[in-house]
Amino acid sequence: MSDSIFNLNYFEIFSQPVTTDPDVDLLKEKNRELQQQVHPDKFANSSDAEKRQAMQKTSLINEAFETLKRPVSRLQYMLVLKGVDMNGETDTSMDGAFLMEQMELRESIAEVRNHSDPLDVLDKMLVDLKSKAKNLIVEFAGFYEHEDLEKSRETVRKLQFINKAEKEVKEIVEQLEDELI
Amino acid sequence: MALLQISEPGQSTKPHEHKFAIGIDLGTTNSLVASVRSGKADTLPDEHGKHLLPSVVQYSADSIVVGSIAKENQVKDSYNTISSIKRLMGRGLEDLKAQFKSLSDVLPYEFAETDSAVPKIKTAAGNKTAVEISADILKALKLRGENTLGDKLEGAVITVPAYFDDAQRQATKDAATLAGINVLRLLNEPTAAAVAYGLDSGAEGIIAVYDLGGGTFDISIMQLKQGVFEVLSTGGDSALGGDDFDHAIAEWIIKEAGVNSSELSSSLLRLVLQQACKAKEALSESTKVEISVEFSAANNWSGTLDRDILNTLIDPLIKKSLMSCRRALRDADVTKDQVLDVVMVGGSTRALRVREQVGDFFETDPKVDIDPDRVVAIGAAIQANALVGNDAEGNLLLMDVLPLSLGIETMGGLSEKIISRNTPIPVSRAQEFTTYKDGQTAMAVHVVQGERELVDDCRSLAKFELRGFPSHVAGAARIRVTFQVDADGLLSVSAKEETSGIEASVEVKPSYGLQDSEIEAMLKASMEFAGDDKDARSLREQQVEADRVLEAIDSAMSDDGEEMLSAEEREAIMQVRQELEISRHNATETQQLKDAMSKLEKVSAGYVARRMNASVQKSMAGHQVEEFK
Repeated sequence: MSDSIFNLNYFEIFSQPVTTDPDVDLLKEKNRELQQQVHPDKFANSSDAEKRQAMQKTSLINEAFETLKRPVSRLQYMLVLKGVDMNGETDTSMDGAFLMEQMELRESIAEVRNHSDPLDVLDKMLVDLKSKAKNLIVEFAGFYEHEDLEKSRETVRKLQFINKAEKEVKEIVEQLEDELI
Repeated sequence: MALLQISEPGQSTKPHEHKFAIGIDLGTTNSLVASVRSGKADTLPDEHGKHLLPSVVQYSADSIVVGSIAKENQVKDSYNTISSIKRLMGRGLEDLKAQFKSLSDVLPYEFAETDSAVPKIKTAAGNKTAVEISADILKALKLRGENTLGDKLEGAVITVPAYFDDAQRQATKDAATLAGINVLRLLNEPTAAAVAYGLDSGAEGIIAVYDLGGGTFDISIMQLKQGVFEVLSTGGDSALGGDDFDHAIAEWIIKEAGVNSSELSSSLLRLVLQQACKAKEALSESTKVEISVEFSAANNWSGTLDRDILNTLIDPLIKKSLMSCRRALRDADVTKDQVLDVVMVGGSTRALRVREQVGDFFETDPKVDIDPDRVVAIGAAIQANALVGNDAEGNLLLMDVLPLSLGIETMGGLSEKIISRNTPIPVSRAQEFTTYKDGQTAMAVHVVQGERELVDDCRSLAKFELRGFPSHVAGAARIRVTFQVDADGLLSVSAKEETSGIEASVEVKPSYGLQDSEIEAMLKASMEFAGDDKDARSLREQQVEADRVLEAIDSAMSDDGEEMLSAEEREAIMQVRQELEISRHNATETQQLKDAMSKLEKVSAGYVARRMNASVQKSMAGHQVEEFK
C-alpha cells in the first residue's frame, strides 16, 4: 500500500462509493484485509520510522472504519465531504412536529416502569425507533443527492435524537434485566 | 561506524534463522512462561517439572526468592513475603485505600512513607514498589525461558488484563524493562486465550472469553476469522477475582469463630486466607469441607463449609462479573444467541458455581476443556513467535480495543471523552483547546480514564502542562492536543499551537506511575547488584552489532566487491571477516568482539571510501538518492 492512503477519503480507503448505505459486511472484510497489510504488528522488526507509519496508517483506517460503521457518524462525514462540519454547530432548528413526537416519547420512556410488562413496551419502542432511523437515512440520501445540505443537516440532527432515545431505552432494558438476575 | 552506512535496508533477518521469543502470563496468583518450539506452543516447566510459578516474592537482606518456596514462607515471614502484587500495579496509595475494604483493608504489609505517589512496601531488602516486585517475578520467568531454550531471547509478549488502564499497563511495561526484557507487545489476556483456543479448535465466528483470575476479571467478545482475532468489545473489573472469593470465605470463618478481625495479627490473617483458599479449591471436588483454625490457645475453631454456603458467599461477586458480560455484549452489538462458544480462562473458573452461572447467562455450556491456567501464556507465545518473524504463513493478526474511555478534565471537574471505550487501537484523536485569559501562554491538561462523568470518579492518568505558545487575546489561541494510543493500549500526547505552528512542550506528570527518574534509579540499582547481568547484556549488544557489521560487509561485497576490489584486497577482507564471525559466536568478553570489529573496519576502510566516492559520482549524474545502496 502506498502512502497515499492519507490522501483518500474514508469511503475511498475501503474502495466504496460515497453512500448512506454501504455494505457493512464488505467494510468489515476490507478492514481486516487492510489491517493485514498495515497493522504495527506486521512491522515488529522494522525501523522506528516504519513502525510509526504503520501506527499512523492503522489509526487512520480504524478511524475511517468507526466513522463509516455507524449511521450518524457516516452521514456527518458525508456532510464533511461537502464542507459542512456539524461539530459544535449552534443552529439546531428542527420542525415542531418532530420535537413534539420526541417529547412524547421521552415521557413514555420515563413512565415505562409503571407498566405491567415494561420490557415488552421497551422492545416495541426499539422496533419503532429502528424503523424511524431507517426512514431518516433514506430521507437524507434524497436531500444529499439534490445537494440540499440544510435539509440533510436537519435530518442528521433528527437521527441523533432517535439514537439518543434508543440508547436510553437500551439502558433501561439493561437495568430491568439486571434486576431480574 | 562507516560500515553501517553501506548496509541495505530490509535485510536484517536471514530467511531461516529461528529467533527465540517467549510469552509471559504475569498473573496475580501464578505466572507462566511459554514458547513455540518446533512449531508447537507450550508452557515451560522449571527444573522440578512445575509449570506454574507462584507470583510470590520473599525478600531478605541478601537474597530474593521467587515462587513456591516463597509461598511456603508466607505465613512465617509475612512482612517480607509479597503476594498478589499485581493488584497494586499502577495504583497510588489513595487508590489502594479505596480499593481494599473490610478484611483486605488490612493488607499484611507495611508501607513506607515516601514523597512519591507510588506506594512502597517495607521489606528486609529495602522499600519495594509493585513494579520492582513484579520485575523480580519476570526475571525468574525470563531466566527459565533462557535456560530452557538455551539461547538469548529476542523479546517477550507479556499479557495484561484487558481491563487494565494506562497506568497499570505502563507499570507492567516498566517492570519488564527493569527485568531486562525487550517487550515485543503487551497483549490482553482474553485475546491471548482466544488465539490459543481459536488456532487449536479452528473455530470461526463470535466467541466470548470469560477470564476470571486471582485478582482480575475480563470479558471479551471477539470475532474469529481466518487467523484474524478481532476484539469487538471488552469489559471487566481490574479488582475482582478468586482472591475475593478467598476473602469472602475468610470473613465467614472469622465471623463464625466470633473473632474480631482488627485484632488479628498479619500472620494469622494469612493463615485464615490460606485455609479459605484451600476450602474453596476442595469444594470444586467435594460437596463439603472441614476447616479448622487455631486463633489462640483458647480458641481453636473448626467448622464445615458446604457448597450452598459457598454459593451465597460468592454469588454477589459472580453477579458483578455477569453484569460486565451484559455490557460487553451490548457494546459489541451482539446478542447471546450469536455467541458460538464461551471460553473459560483463569484458575477461578474452576469453581463449579462460576461455570454454572456463566452457562446459565450465555445459555450454552462453557468450554472448560482447555487448561485455564496455561492458555493465556500459550497464546502469548504464539503471538511472540509471530512478532519476531517465525510465523511462516504470517496471517495471524490481533485487532484489539481501548478498554476504558480516555478524557480530559473540563470546567467544573467534568470529564470530556476524547476516545470512547471499545474503540479499535491504535487510534489517534485530536482536540482543540483555547485560552480563557488575555496573554495566557500556558495551560494545564488533565487526562483521565474511565466511564464516569466526574473527573474525581475516573482514574487520573497524567497532568500535562503546555507552555511557550504565543500570547493572544482570550480565545484566540488554538492549541491542538493529539492523543495517540498505540497497539499496546498505551497513550502518548503531543500538542501544537495552530496559529503559530509552535510545538508546545508537553510535561508529563504521571499521576500514579513512576517518574522516568525513578525508573532510571531502579535500573541503576539493579545493575549495580547484578554485574553479571550487565556484562551479559553488553556482550549481547556487541553480538548484535557484530551481526550488523557482518551483514553490511556481505551485502557490499556481493554488490560490488568484484568490481571495486582486487583479488588480494578481497581475500584480506574476507579473512578478517571470518575472524569476526568466529568471535561473534565464541567470544565471552565484550572487548574481544570490539577488537575483531575494529580490525574489520580498518582493513575495509579503503573499500568503504571507494564505495562512498562512487555514490557521490552517481548522485552527480542525476540519480535518486534512494537508489544508493
